[in-house]
Amino acid sequence: MQPLQLFDLAFRQNEWLAQRQSVISENVANANTPGYKAKDVESFEDVMRRSVSMATTNPEHLTAPDDGTIPENESDPDKAEVLVSGNDVSLAQEFLKSNEVMQNYSMNTQILKTFSNMLLSVTKG
Amino acid sequence: MSDPLIASQKSAAAGLFAQSARMRVVSENIANASSTGKTPGSDPYQRKTISFDSVMDDNAGVDLVQVDQIARDETPFETQYLPGNPAADDKGMVKMPNVNMLVELADMREASRSYTANTQVIKQVRELVSMTIDLMRPS
Repeated sequence: MQPLQLFDLAFRQNEWLAQRQSVISENVANANTPGYKAKDVESFEDVMRRSVSMATTNPEHLTAPDDGTIPENESDPDKAEVLVSGNDVSLAQEFLKSNEVMQNYSMNTQILKTFSNMLLSVTKG
Repeated sequence: MSDPLIASQKSAAAGLFAQSARMRVVSENIANASSTGKTPGSDPYQRKTISFDSVMDDNAGVDLVQVDQIARDETPFETQYLPGNPAADDKGMVKMPNVNMLVELADMREASRSYTANTQVIKQVRELVSMTIDLMRPS
């Protein structure tokens, strides 16, 4: 039987999202710390591409494209200006990211729930 | 390394603590905005300042925030002519505290805004955790 990739993938992304959330809370907590620079985590696509590559059984198969995904790293263009204290955390930016995390997380848990319901309905008959 | 969600709660809690310490300093300053000295020519209340520092928590693996130091504002005092005051010198001048109400209020505003931001983070993390727990709920 095929291993259930979906569970693994969804949990992996949830792990990544939790990590991102923790970086966001670090930024918010340090919003008034002199010299603190806002941080972000590497985008999930990048991490994914490095850790899991799609199996190719035939050389003709296309591999996942290297780009084409929206660069998650929007840190540079609309970065809030650096304050006199050297701090560049923008609360608005952080909450925007936090909202994104929330959306993806809830989507993942919904998918997991639906999938486990599907499994259950199959096993229960 | 511990669970990142727990770690975020931890750093948000550290933020709450730091901001409330700041709020305390602000309220001390405002309360003592007109505390003059007791003896002639003595110094009045000297405004306190607070600064933060980010510190790595090895257990949680996140940058927490902590109060770096509470120092005294070295701005020179202004004098005011109040001959009846016990702190008045022989010319009747009294040194007044170097507290600027406007600065304190702005500081207070910022502290409360940051405090709210941290509580918001806690709320959000709690929701994430409960979403995960809800996966176990039979539907």
